[in-house]
Amino acid sequence: MKSSTFDPRSKLIAALVGTLFLVMFNHWVPLAAFLGALAVMVLLLHLSRSWIHFLKNLGFAVFAFFTIVSLASDLLTGIVAGLRLLAIGTVFFLFFRTTPPERLSNALLKTGLPYPFTFVLSTSMQFVPVLIRRARNIRDAQRARGIPMEGGPRTLLHLPALVGPLLIQAFTFADELAEAMEARGFGIPGRRFRFEPRFRWVDWTVVGISLAVLTAGLAIKFFLP
Amino acid sequence: MILHFEEVSYSYPGSAARALDGLNLTVDPGESVLVAGSSGSGKSTFCRASIGLVPHFHHGKFTGRVLVAGCDTRRHPVHELFRHAGLVFQNPDAQLFNQTVEAELTYGLESLGMRPSEIESRMAWASGLTKLDSLMDRPPQTLSGGEKQRLALASILTLRPRLLLLDEPFTHLDPEGTEELRRILRTMKSEGITLVLVEHRLHEVIQDADRLIVFHAGKAVAEGPPRQVLSGDISTYGLNLPSLIRLFRTFGLDETPFNADEAIEALKTRNLLEPFSSRLSREIPKLSGAPGEAASPIVEGENIWFNYEGRNVLRGVHLKLQKGECIALLGRNGAGKTTLIKHLNGLLKPQRGFLTVLGLDTRRNPVSKISRHVGLVWQNPNDQLFRPTVREEVLTAPKAFRSYDPAWCNQLFERFGLSSLLDRSPFSLSEGQKKRVSFAAALAVKPGLIVLDEPTAGQDESFRRELTGFITRLREEGCAIVLATHDLEFAAEHATRWLVLSDGQIVADGPPEEVMADAAVMTKAGLRPTQRFQLIQFIKQPGKDTP
Repeated sequence: MKSSTFDPRSKLIAALVGTLFLVMFNHWVPLAAFLGALAVMVLLLHLSRSWIHFLKNLGFAVFAFFTIVSLASDLLTGIVAGLRLLAIGTVFFLFFRTTPPERLSNALLKTGLPYPFTFVLSTSMQFVPVLIRRARNIRDAQRARGIPMEGGPRTLLHLPALVGPLLIQAFTFADELAEAMEARGFGIPGRRFRFEPRFRWVDWTVVGISLAVLTAGLAIKFFLP
Repeated sequence: MILHFEEVSYSYPGSAARALDGLNLTVDPGESVLVAGSSGSGKSTFCRASIGLVPHFHHGKFTGRVLVAGCDTRRHPVHELFRHAGLVFQNPDAQLFNQTVEAELTYGLESLGMRPSEIESRMAWASGLTKLDSLMDRPPQTLSGGEKQRLALASILTLRPRLLLLDEPFTHLDPEGTEELRRILRTMKSEGITLVLVEHRLHEVIQDADRLIVFHAGKAVAEGPPRQVLSGDISTYGLNLPSLIRLFRTFGLDETPFNADEAIEALKTRNLLEPFSSRLSREIPKLSGAPGEAASPIVEGENIWFNYEGRNVLRGVHLKLQKGECIALLGRNGAGKTTLIKHLNGLLKPQRGFLTVLGLDTRRNPVSKISRHVGLVWQNPNDQLFRPTVREEVLTAPKAFRSYDPAWCNQLFERFGLSSLLDRSPFSLSEGQKKRVSFAAALAVKPGLIVLDEPTAGQDESFRRELTGFITRLREEGCAIVLATHDLEFAAEHATRWLVLSDGQIVADGPPEEVMADAAVMTKAGLRPTQRFQLIQFIKQPGKDTP
């Protein structure tokens, strides 16, 4: 995780403005230019390897989106749709790669959101791999008893053999987790963070630049011929 | 006193049974207390009640009084009690909920609203003690079992509780992890922290405990210095006695040796070394009886290689297993044991080399075909339960393989004590009963090979005894057995052959005594000879003057 010097809130504002900018334009040139600028940031932050890995995962969605829109509309609209998805994906890739989840939740807490909400937001993604690992174990256990789960349509018939144990385990896991959190003071009033987020002049600068970009974009979109 | 239970009774919501039934107990500051008892005796509930989770989190019906550092748990919420008493839960995975090791360590301190400088200093202390310094940026879910357990402990230690409770902390640890945890606990004790350990594996910790409390049906039925308690009549409480004590009981001796040195001393004092030695030598062949040379091979594997995520998990493994043989797969966590057992029914295929099971090449046959001959009992029975009744659960595989034999299945229901449970939902059973269902389900297709993954982890003595019976009977019926385990005492008592894995390679393959005698191999694989073996070694050596 590359931890940046900016407050997560200023980065979140920049990411949201970037997304609005990408949604506003329906021409491939500004989208490609924006994507190029994002790619430069990726290179400067030495994140190219993990970006390529991320693109491998996003690639199928981009291709599917491009194909559907191209067939439904035309090739150019398909390219715009694909570029937009790629660029928005990269915006949030950069945001999450440079923002440790705890700092994000601490920062959101400062904005007045309740602690249980920000905590769940920052931790929920962490347990996705845990549940995937458990699903694999369950699949192996069922295959070992002759239940076909190798994929394909027959697997659907035997879905309860996977989903049943997984749901039971997920509920049990959630109970155990809640108990452990309670035992370490979850939700106690007066929580104080080791890294208290502070909005400094660099953050105001980021917000200022973001708003300027948004204003320029709106001006180009609505007032230029 | 730091902890005091006064006539405490408790039932979980929706249950009429009392998990605690008039429990009276006191723990003094600085004491190291070991709590033992069979599954369902109330040990975990006792831990929860000690930090206020019972009744505040679990609700239910609570009577009596629990005082933690003078605070009545009925009047103080958990977030006030956790400053005084910390609990390390059974399952390390379910208590690590932060993104990094560092965040995990600071979570409780942030809850207490501590200053950042104090947080830094406590974090440095706890991470140094538990040797987590080099892992601070790692996500907890990527750590090994031993590292996770140390992190779970460290996350509580940062709170500097005066009372530390640990619920079966050794269950998922390999021998090295166990030794490391014992070292940390000794340091805790020397720093004046009161320790309460709940553990089935008494031999791991009995030497470090000041007091042993035995639980049975929600009550403390025996307590006192460990030797005194173990000398008494505790046979009905399902305790997993240390192996040397069990050995002494078998020979009609009432001493309570905790290690080989003490056993030798006791035998010398009573002038019993010679008779014990000759009787023990008559017993040894029984413990390590091997199948005849003419037995037919069930599994044959040559030069098996398997790579996962860029790491060679198996590197040129050779494996042969004969009918009626029981082998133990041993080694550290991550040595390749689980990967190898998944090869035995084709869940994983060798990327180089080959493996045949009853003549079927696992590379060329689907799992569904090989599984017909291989019963796999997983460590967690919850991975497989999904049918509405126990009967349907056990009959799933025979029906899938079209090999349903009613007479055999009825015999299994009897043998595993499931006859009265057949119409019950498997989810409503205790963990021990679920384990028996998974055994019956694996055996229902009459497999030629049965693979048991950590069969004794978290199980009490009565289950171990049942398991001993199952294994003996299965071997008599010609079934080959593979035990993947960290429980060397159990492996030494039941396996005819030990296969020791280290970094994906088999570094030893032979009878337990032979493997344990090879100090270099044992060190390489992170294993320790059993206490029983140490005693036998001493008795065998000429002179017998020093242990």
